[in-house]
Amino acid sequence: MRTQKKRKLLCFAGLALLLLAVALLAEQLSPYDPNQQNYEMALQAPSMAHPFGTDRYGRDMLSRVLAGARISIFSALAVVLASSVLGTGVGILCGYAGKVLDTVLMRIADVCLAFPGLVFALAIAALLNGGTISAVIALTAVSWPKYARLSRGQTLAVRQEDYIAAARLSGDSTLQILVRHVLPGIGSQILVTAMLDVGTMMMELAALSFLGLGARPPAAEWGSMMSGGRSMLQTRPWVVLTPGIGIFVTVAVFNLLGDALRDYLE
Amino acid sequence: MEPLLEVKNLTKTFEENRGGKGLFLPRKEWKKKGLTAVNQVSFSLYPGEILGIAGASGAGKSTVARAVTRLLDVTSGEIFFHGKEITRAEGKARDEVYQHMQMVFQSPEASFHPRHTLGYSIGESFRNRGYSRKEAQKEAGKLLRVCGLPESLAFRYPREVSGGQCQRAAIARALSREPELLVCDEATSALDVMAQKKIVDLLRKLRQEYKMACLFICHDLALVQSLCDRVLIMEDGKIAEEGRTEDVLQNPKSRAARALLEAVI
Repeated sequence: MRTQKKRKLLCFAGLALLLLAVALLAEQLSPYDPNQQNYEMALQAPSMAHPFGTDRYGRDMLSRVLAGARISIFSALAVVLASSVLGTGVGILCGYAGKVLDTVLMRIADVCLAFPGLVFALAIAALLNGGTISAVIALTAVSWPKYARLSRGQTLAVRQEDYIAAARLSGDSTLQILVRHVLPGIGSQILVTAMLDVGTMMMELAALSFLGLGARPPAAEWGSMMSGGRSMLQTRPWVVLTPGIGIFVTVAVFNLLGDALRDYLE
Repeated sequence: MEPLLEVKNLTKTFEENRGGKGLFLPRKEWKKKGLTAVNQVSFSLYPGEILGIAGASGAGKSTVARAVTRLLDVTSGEIFFHGKEITRAEGKARDEVYQHMQMVFQSPEASFHPRHTLGYSIGESFRNRGYSRKEAQKEAGKLLRVCGLPESLAFRYPREVSGGQCQRAAIARALSREPELLVCDEATSALDVMAQKKIVDLLRKLRQEYKMACLFICHDLALVQSLCDRVLIMEDGKIAEEGRTEDVLQNPKSRAARALLEAVI
């Protein structure tokens, strides 16, 4: 049973690594310059020369989907990394220290959670004038409370354990207890949540880009590519579907990886 | 002789958790009395002495142990260690106390981090004192040997050893700070009789070799008799009887001591 779970985990981890490799090597793998315009070749259907077709500016869709992978995947990973590190840090501090610090930080988290996530992110991204970095900051600001709540709850349970008292008796400082004992105890749960969140963040980044608050033209980003081609969904569907498939595959792979990781760690 | 540990009128009350219901009570009832686990307990422990605290479940023995080791804040009373008050010691002052006072917990497996090897946990205090990882591991091995365990156990996880071995490893960890006082909170309760004997023999040996005092909390009077110089019998958070172990066990005066003796199978 354990071997089967390990095999499943390795399989999806391999697929996720493959996606990351594609994103990293996008420039080398692209048959054309993703931003090279050629109006004579505009809106060409998929063919041998252009397997994913071309967009309204004659840009090769395959090259743009590959280039978009880099921005879309790494932006999502950046959001997940930033929100999980920030949220976990806050949650562990609140759970371990308690008292006033816990009350103040958790009320701030409650305020953040009180707004609908995407609407709140839209407002922050708009305040920051849009762009990929603004979208990452906006989504991080919206996502950290979830990790804070999760890690706080886990820390509250772990801090009562005898091994924490034993660590204190061994002369560990509070920071050492948090890093050596609390974090390893709750880390697996945070990791699984973060893996499952990569897909969600990618969708939300795509949504922000779709609404014009993410990556700016001519940068290739899957959400903004779908937004640019939405008027042609019925007449030139490949312009919308190819970046859509990119989002679908990436979200599916990271969600399945999160599930496999949870099964393995259980 | 000056006592190593002196506890005066120790009281610990756990406040009642009313949850949301408290909000609907009149203000004067908000702070109603909670559960007083330990009530006006006083005793002294001298260097090299083994003092037993016996009593039924819920008598307040473990609360005394946790209060003495500063793992629990007291409600009132005073605790002196080497004549210095440690009742509310925090931070560096508390760590100074821990350099001379250590504790062994009831559940040996739960007192070790499940993701760390025994050697890593035992070597923790050495690493905190600037030893390298390798040196700390070596010292951990030496301490395991002192406690009658093979050095190879340092590479095992708590789940991979027996309860008795794990408890002896916990004593090895406590020894890493060369304490003058070891507080054993029901350290033998979760073990079988053979493992209990090994722990008792080890504590005797440590007392002889290191002149270490011990506060031995236990509900098994046979173990108390075989190990302790003096014994306190606790009942409902108070000391019901105190005296030399032979005197208390041969001629019990309190109802609690008699009840404990009658309960011996």
